[in-house]
Amino acid sequence: MSLDPELLEIFRQETEERLDRMIDTLLAVEAGTAADDAIDQLFRDAHSIKGNAGMVGFDVASKVAGALEDILERARAADALDPALTAPLLRAADAIRASAVDGQDGPAASAMTELAALETVASAEPPAADEEPAEPVADAPAAAPAPTASAAAPTRTLRVAADRVDRLLDAVGETVLHRRRLEHLLGPSVLEADQRLREEIDRGDVLLEDLQDAVVRMRTLPLASIVGAFPRAVRDIASTAGREVRLELSGVETQLDRVILDGISETIVHLLRNAVSHGIEPPDERLAAGKPREGTIELSAQGRGDRVAVTVADDGRGVPAALIAQAEREGSLVDVLARAGFSTAEKVDELSGRGVGLDAVKRHVESLGGALDVWSRPGEGTAVTLLLPLTLSLLHLLLFERGGQTFGLPLASVLEAVTAHDVSSLGGRGSIELRGESVGLSDLAAVVGAAAPALPESPPAVVVASSTQRVALMVDAVTGEQETVVKPLGAMLSGVPGYLGAAILADGRAALVLDPSYVARAGATRRGAPAVATPAVAPATEPPRLLVVDDQFTVRELQRSILESAGYPVETAKDGQEALERLRRGGIDLVLSDLEMPIMNGLELLAAVRAEAELGSLPFVIVTSRGSEEDRQRGAEAGADAYVVKGEFDQQALLDTVRRLAVLR
Amino acid sequence: MAETCVRVRVGTEQYAFPVRHVPEVAEMGDITPVPGAPPQVMGIRNLRGEVLAVFDLAAGLGAQGSGSPERIILADVDGRRCALAVDEVLEVAELGEPEEAVESPFLLGAVLLDGRLVGLVDVPALLQAIAPAESR
Repeated sequence: MSLDPELLEIFRQETEERLDRMIDTLLAVEAGTAADDAIDQLFRDAHSIKGNAGMVGFDVASKVAGALEDILERARAADALDPALTAPLLRAADAIRASAVDGQDGPAASAMTELAALETVASAEPPAADEEPAEPVADAPAAAPAPTASAAAPTRTLRVAADRVDRLLDAVGETVLHRRRLEHLLGPSVLEADQRLREEIDRGDVLLEDLQDAVVRMRTLPLASIVGAFPRAVRDIASTAGREVRLELSGVETQLDRVILDGISETIVHLLRNAVSHGIEPPDERLAAGKPREGTIELSAQGRGDRVAVTVADDGRGVPAALIAQAEREGSLVDVLARAGFSTAEKVDELSGRGVGLDAVKRHVESLGGALDVWSRPGEGTAVTLLLPLTLSLLHLLLFERGGQTFGLPLASVLEAVTAHDVSSLGGRGSIELRGESVGLSDLAAVVGAAAPALPESPPAVVVASSTQRVALMVDAVTGEQETVVKPLGAMLSGVPGYLGAAILADGRAALVLDPSYVARAGATRRGAPAVATPAVAPATEPPRLLVVDDQFTVRELQRSILESAGYPVETAKDGQEALERLRRGGIDLVLSDLEMPIMNGLELLAAVRAEAELGSLPFVIVTSRGSEEDRQRGAEAGADAYVVKGEFDQQALLDTVRRLAVLR
Repeated sequence: MAETCVRVRVGTEQYAFPVRHVPEVAEMGDITPVPGAPPQVMGIRNLRGEVLAVFDLAAGLGAQGSGSPERIILADVDGRRCALAVDEVLEVAELGEPEEAVESPFLLGAVLLDGRLVGLVDVPALLQAIAPAESR
């Protein structure tokens, strides 16, 4: 039986919506904050899912929904739902989702067994009428105010497939480019000569701007559209970790670009997990510290000009004082915390826990054109903020040239454009004074690694700001501004750091758009100095010989070029077997290996290396596109010394890791 | 089963790409270099509003190219696209079954055509190696 895929898709979407609503309602009922008709609503949703699933042939899902319906019917008749049923009912909902949406019937079997057991209990003991909680139960593991639709008049909405909106936006973008080409071809003299032509072109500008605005706003969605799963996630994590936590949501009506929303959903879950597991203290510890037993985590969103701040804040133990002190010395708590959570050399402990995965979060947010900020006070709590651009689709860019090539930067990240004169030098690095503060100078060519002739005398410099760092980027000339769609560079270039994407210029050429955080960071380290790249190792001792193992050609070559230009001799292997054979011949001091490879994968190679007496303590770095915590744990347990995530790694992280571990050989 | 292929020249060697993976061929055009990218990536190019990365096919296949390719072929595998730089696009025609075996992860085999070997390219394998699908 073949089913119309569009019908199937509609079924899946509706079922997901119903399941989400059921979960929200179940949590609300458990917390005692549900509306009067909640149980009725639950019953109706289960009933609908049962019917629809049966109709499209998802019998397994239909059966589970049927069992749910039976239990809910009894609850409806008694006008009460025993809170103890919440967990099994949630699991049943998960099983339905697994079966109907993900096509996995596995979880359904255990859900059915559980529900069958409940049926016998439920029919033997109808819930007492006074069991209904009169106020929110203080000891509930998690109580989340379900984000229900407001009681105000509903606005008309239209369900449109996302890619249709994208195509519309592309078409608008193309029209803008076409307009620019037209102006470019007409040329300034023609436009100046004909008044009516000029007026018509100007009117076209206004019309197009309105069109752009309208379409861009179509792409935004409220944060509320992704928070649905969070109360449940916090509840589950808290219960596993033995904590009592309440999740509060505020500002969820704040609008964000759909692509950015998709991109931060997992990140927020990660931050919530960190906050529950490493932020909130166990209930007894909290009481002893004079805090309420139940910890509070607040997820909030707030518009800040052309950015949106999404914050996960907890009232837990805060970051260890030792790290705060270190942050004060180094200037950035984010960097200190991210670094502390990065190494897998020691097991996750109090010091590193709060920062686990923060480096990946930081890079991911920066790849979206945003920034990460952390505030913390020991004993009081921690707040992690994602600062995100309002929209990825259209960026206002500043354009400039260096080495005969045009580059762009989001105007929002540019403080100003100045001329770099009165340069003071310290330790080989130049800086200029800007309103009483010293700002480091960097040559754009050096930052991106481009070959370029020397800069002119007193060159123009673009002052770039990102989070707390600033740099004055020296260029050959500033050429103008452009508001345009920034297009992704694609999979081939995803491992190359420093770029948000490419913009199409009026003359049809593609220009690279720089990532402001990368530029600002590069400016803060010595990398921005226009000097010859010096080897990362003291010339007196022989540099360690590295082995790069990856089945992908471009990845091997990219790593090779990064490491060789830092002065390390590099050899490569395309799978674990080849690598092991090379290692046995001796002479390799450090291995950088991918996880997924044919013949022998990274973990197998690691195990083989650790098992051999001669190779046992060889420094081993996992370099992979998989950055989940479980992967890190597996890597750490297998004996890896460090873990770098591909696609988010930049040169400095890779080099720092190699330098740190090469000392261990 | 003969397949219609785009046959190209890279230096003195010839390669064939099944047309279902090559929707278009074009002039080299303006390539914007990407500082920091591996040397085999020549840069990016605008193709009617789409930004495409341009890969030097000679480097990818280990062939001796002319050093200044003049044409690009657009490679498409399930919507993932990139441009491959070649010296010349020879013709689009049916090519016989690859009879000769070849030792290369990117070739499905080779066809003997007018006394010379033409390598039949495994486009999905090539694209997976140079522009991997994201696992996210």
